[in-house]
Amino acid sequence: MPGTLRTALLGAVFATSLAGAGPVWAATVKVGVIAPFSGPFATVGQTFKQAIEVYQAQHGKTAAGHTVEFVYKDLDQANPAQSKALAQELVVKEKVGYLAGFFFTPDALAVAPLIDEANIPCVIFNAATSVITEKSPRYVRTSFTLWQNTVPLAEHMAKQGVRKVATAVSDYGPGIDGETAFKATFEKHGGKVVDSIRMPLKSTDFAPFMQRIKDSGAEAIYAFLPAGPTTLAFAKAFSDTGLKAAGVKFFGPGDITQEPDLPALGDAALGITTTFNYSQAHDSDLNRAFVAKHKELFGSSDTVTFTSVGAYDGTHVIYKMIEATGGSSDGAKAVAAVKGMAWESPRGPLVIDPDSRHVTQTIYLRVTERKDGRLQNSEVAAFAAQPDYGYKVGK
Amino acid sequence: MSAATNHAATASAPAHGGRASRPQRLRDGAAAPLLAALGLAAFWLFPDDLGLMTRILTAALYVLSLDLVLGYAGIATLGQAAMFGTGAYAAGIAAVHLVADPLVLLAVGGVAGGLIALATGTLILRGRGLTLLMLTIAVAQIVQEVANKARDLTGGSDGLSGIDPGPLLGLFRFDMYGRTSYLFALAVLLAGFLVARRIVRSPFGLACRGVREDPVRVAALGGSPKRLLVAMYAVAGVFAGVAGALSAVTSGIVGLDSLGFSWSAEALVMLVLGGTGRLWGAILGTVAFMTVHHLLAATDPFHWMLFIGLFLMGTVLFLPGGLASLADRFTRGDRP
Repeated sequence: MPGTLRTALLGAVFATSLAGAGPVWAATVKVGVIAPFSGPFATVGQTFKQAIEVYQAQHGKTAAGHTVEFVYKDLDQANPAQSKALAQELVVKEKVGYLAGFFFTPDALAVAPLIDEANIPCVIFNAATSVITEKSPRYVRTSFTLWQNTVPLAEHMAKQGVRKVATAVSDYGPGIDGETAFKATFEKHGGKVVDSIRMPLKSTDFAPFMQRIKDSGAEAIYAFLPAGPTTLAFAKAFSDTGLKAAGVKFFGPGDITQEPDLPALGDAALGITTTFNYSQAHDSDLNRAFVAKHKELFGSSDTVTFTSVGAYDGTHVIYKMIEATGGSSDGAKAVAAVKGMAWESPRGPLVIDPDSRHVTQTIYLRVTERKDGRLQNSEVAAFAAQPDYGYKVGK
Repeated sequence: MSAATNHAATASAPAHGGRASRPQRLRDGAAAPLLAALGLAAFWLFPDDLGLMTRILTAALYVLSLDLVLGYAGIATLGQAAMFGTGAYAAGIAAVHLVADPLVLLAVGGVAGGLIALATGTLILRGRGLTLLMLTIAVAQIVQEVANKARDLTGGSDGLSGIDPGPLLGLFRFDMYGRTSYLFALAVLLAGFLVARRIVRSPFGLACRGVREDPVRVAALGGSPKRLLVAMYAVAGVFAGVAGALSAVTSGIVGLDSLGFSWSAEALVMLVLGGTGRLWGAILGTVAFMTVHHLLAATDPFHWMLFIGLFLMGTVLFLPGGLASLADRFTRGDRP
């Protein structure tokens, strides 16, 4: 009798100790997300957060038995010093094992010394300047770069027989990137850039630039402006000044016709031809499931756009990193584990390029058109396996 | 001119200049040690928040510079970020290409901030009131656009990264936890506070206050209001430049936002919150604003702006003299 009692007691103790030890094996892995959640760019942070929640709803909240918890920090505008302070707080105080998010390039660049010292991987959901991933071996990016979108577009235009093009870009980093990429590629394929116009970032009156485009005698324009009010004003000026009616074709990277802006752009957006990594109207089962889940969780899928898939696929990468490292915090090992990783995403096939740690993906040629009374970016052609052409281009 | 005389009457009440009264001398002696003690206490109490607290100290020095301009010389400005950003970029560029010593970088930032303030101040301080306000905004916008255009030097909109200052005094490395950064920033703020206090109590500082109250009378007494204002503007530019350099050194990056309009405006909000015309007010306002901002943004990253708006409105409604006026109420009874 005492023997059985002792066995029972021992068994109970053993069982409790097991239960107690459970959480140690399956710890919580925290991911710090820095993005704009308030102010003029709040929708970006919202698309990040919603995409993360869609991913967690589809794939569960655990990776390799570890609960994955996202901690959100608001950075309402480009402010690298604040970005660094927030990242510092996430690492030191919240003890996050991963950093993610980042809409603006300077905010992403600001954390480079920090992630190297703390040995933490940083998955960029958006910030699109090529140079970022050169600054630290712990950056992985799941968005796109201006080069990546522009090179196939310029090649396509040259193939279509377009010969004379004027470029019109906002005068800031990404705009210059777009202009350089376009000019280099288009002239290599025999085209001619007849005028390169750089417009002030905050400009809303585009009539003088339209006149310059008219005077240059270009058959088409390549335009890039940051998404939002400036793009709206530009597209409206383009049709109001008669350039559109005169048959000048409008090309550009897909940021300018991003889904949340389409209703405001209205008919001015019709016929704009863009290249981009994602359209909400992309024809695949995975994308339909993604958009449907989004609608189920948040009531509407109108805002699903490129920042959504950037975050969705970024979350996937983080999950894979957690699985590869078993939840221990080793940034170098985590990044090494996803180099060369290939998978199917709602936007199509993706591969993490082992050198640039940027995602190699299919870039789609889209035309903005009205379908069932609603504007959408319809994909008309696809250019498979496009790398970041801008990686180390300055060297 | 009734408003001006009224202003003069209330402003003369706290005995800043002239012969100090006994309690004031006591407060004076206690001010710097108190600031140091509070700063060190925060260092012990919140070892995980040093990144944020370093930013608060940097901002406090910057708001202090605005207080010199606005609170003591009465120059209405919405362009103080021009000096802050110039200092930050100067120190950043120097750090990338020339020197690594943090103290030298601060000096570079201070000189750059002072020079740009001197140059632009000479031009724009002919204006007054709203005209001047517009001109200060214009200057800051021009400087920002220059920084945007000079992409090779400043990195443009990508920001100037790769600032890697050497160890402080050759001994203390700037670590990930921000210990060195914080203590360094605290020391710089403390030094800035003491120097600023010396300046506002000097004959020069008193003359500037005279200009604020009544430039015509100062001119009648043989002073040159414009020269005094330009000098004070340049002195404040040095402070703002040092603050900018401090930001560059401690964060390792400079962005175009450091020259932006919202950074100028935010400084004004913090100063008004703390109380203009008092050096304590600048520090108190910065600490209060940034702490509340941080706490609200951390609890609710999505709607915090609403609450910070309510907080500001409440302060302005119920404490028109700013948070620093609370202290006066306690020490001098509840008189208007």
